[in-house]
Amino acid sequence: MKQEILVDGRGLEPPEPMEKVLAAVDLLRPGQHIRFLIHREPFPLYGLLENMGYRHRTHMLGDGCFEIRIEPRADGGR
Amino acid sequence: MGPGLALEQAPPFSAPLRFFLTAPVFLAAAGLLAAWSTGWSGTPLAPVSLALTHLVTLGFLGMVMLGALMQILPVVAGSPVPAVGPVAAVSHAGLAIGTPLLAWGLASGEAAILNAAGLALGLGLTVFLIPTAISLARARALDSVRAMALSVAALAVTVLLGLSLTAWLAGHWAPADPIDLLGRHALAGLAGWVGVLVVGTAWQVVPMLQLTPAYPPRLTRALLIGFALALPAALLPPAPWQIVGEAGLALGLVVFALATLDLQRRRKRKIGDTTLRFWRLGMICLALAAALSPLPLPEAARMTAGMLFVAGFGVSVVNGMLYKIVPFLAWFHLHAQKGLPAAGRPSMKDYLPESRAQGQFRAYLAALACLLATPFAPALAVPGGLLLAASSAWLGWNLVSAVRLFRAHGGRV
Repeated sequence: MKQEILVDGRGLEPPEPMEKVLAAVDLLRPGQHIRFLIHREPFPLYGLLENMGYRHRTHMLGDGCFEIRIEPRADGGR
Repeated sequence: MGPGLALEQAPPFSAPLRFFLTAPVFLAAAGLLAAWSTGWSGTPLAPVSLALTHLVTLGFLGMVMLGALMQILPVVAGSPVPAVGPVAAVSHAGLAIGTPLLAWGLASGEAAILNAAGLALGLGLTVFLIPTAISLARARALDSVRAMALSVAALAVTVLLGLSLTAWLAGHWAPADPIDLLGRHALAGLAGWVGVLVVGTAWQVVPMLQLTPAYPPRLTRALLIGFALALPAALLPPAPWQIVGEAGLALGLVVFALATLDLQRRRKRKIGDTTLRFWRLGMICLALAAALSPLPLPEAARMTAGMLFVAGFGVSVVNGMLYKIVPFLAWFHLHAQKGLPAAGRPSMKDYLPESRAQGQFRAYLAALACLLATPFAPALAVPGGLLLAASSAWLGWNLVSAVRLFRAHGGRV
């Protein structure tokens, strides 16, 4: 089983990147995480992830895009 | 946590939605009134012309812009409007009650109706302006947020002058030069509130939604400084500065419209959608209206220039934005309310199938073509008004359908 699920939302029209990443979150198995690439910082996504029990770490890439690592919170968000 | 991150910061769906669903009703009413009454196309100062203008500017443009600002300030500016639930309820009620009263009062000249309209609108808009000013004062220092603050200041001036004019028509006082006051009221409302608000919002949403390159920072800064200087110059005496201010506003709006059309031409994704078409139509109309505004035009051409701005630019851009905002909010709030699993939920495109939006765009385009020609061919008021009413009803139905789908999947408004 791959540990990292890559979701590339760069250049897609909103909210397609968010739709893709939530579909991936739905399928995430224990031990896996998502690497999400996106051309703008997806502020509204953070609230949804927080609400669903996931944490994220964002960093900016050299080309101005963002890389966001998404994984379940230890407490599962409950 | 950065701006716009917490779900608690986002207003409840009901806060902006009530504005978005009411607005098409007033645009449809304006269409019916334009078809039914005669003589409005000759002059902007006829009682029915004033009633029509306010049904569109307050009832449609103002209605959507108030709701949209409450939604966008937490996200773009990182600063929610305080007490957004009650503020939305009261300001919406003030506009929804005050707008038809004002249209009735302007058309009939009855003092009691004008008094009631002034009271409802004054209360509703003040309840919007004060918390919004607080939110803007706390907001992030972005050029787009500063432009929004400038537009909200212009709205405050528009409301103040509008209430003064209503009090004059109701017989409470007699200004020395009411036509001069009216000119400043219209300038503050159209160029200042509608124009500068769309400019500031576009700097954020055009690159985000239409995948265009960003507006060059030097351009946004120059436009912001230009508007901040030109708007007070255009609104305050003495006369020579007023002309410079008006010319500055017109130039700024033309530059903005052309820059936006250029960015849209250079966007990464070549497939267009209805929002993009509405924006392009809006920018072409804005460039024409603003370029025509300083010229000494005959009355009929002045009417057409006014309609180019209000309907061709304002209504088009707002209609186009509604097609992005309402489906996105429905999609977003359903996920926020229901959590995981997300499988089986409608995608954003399911909330508003492109074919429905496209049909409504064509109906609106036909309405606009008739209405713009009405000052030169008054008989076109009937098809123009009826087409406007039909396209507005279609817009309203498209938005209601999105909300019905949201509710069908268990969403709560």
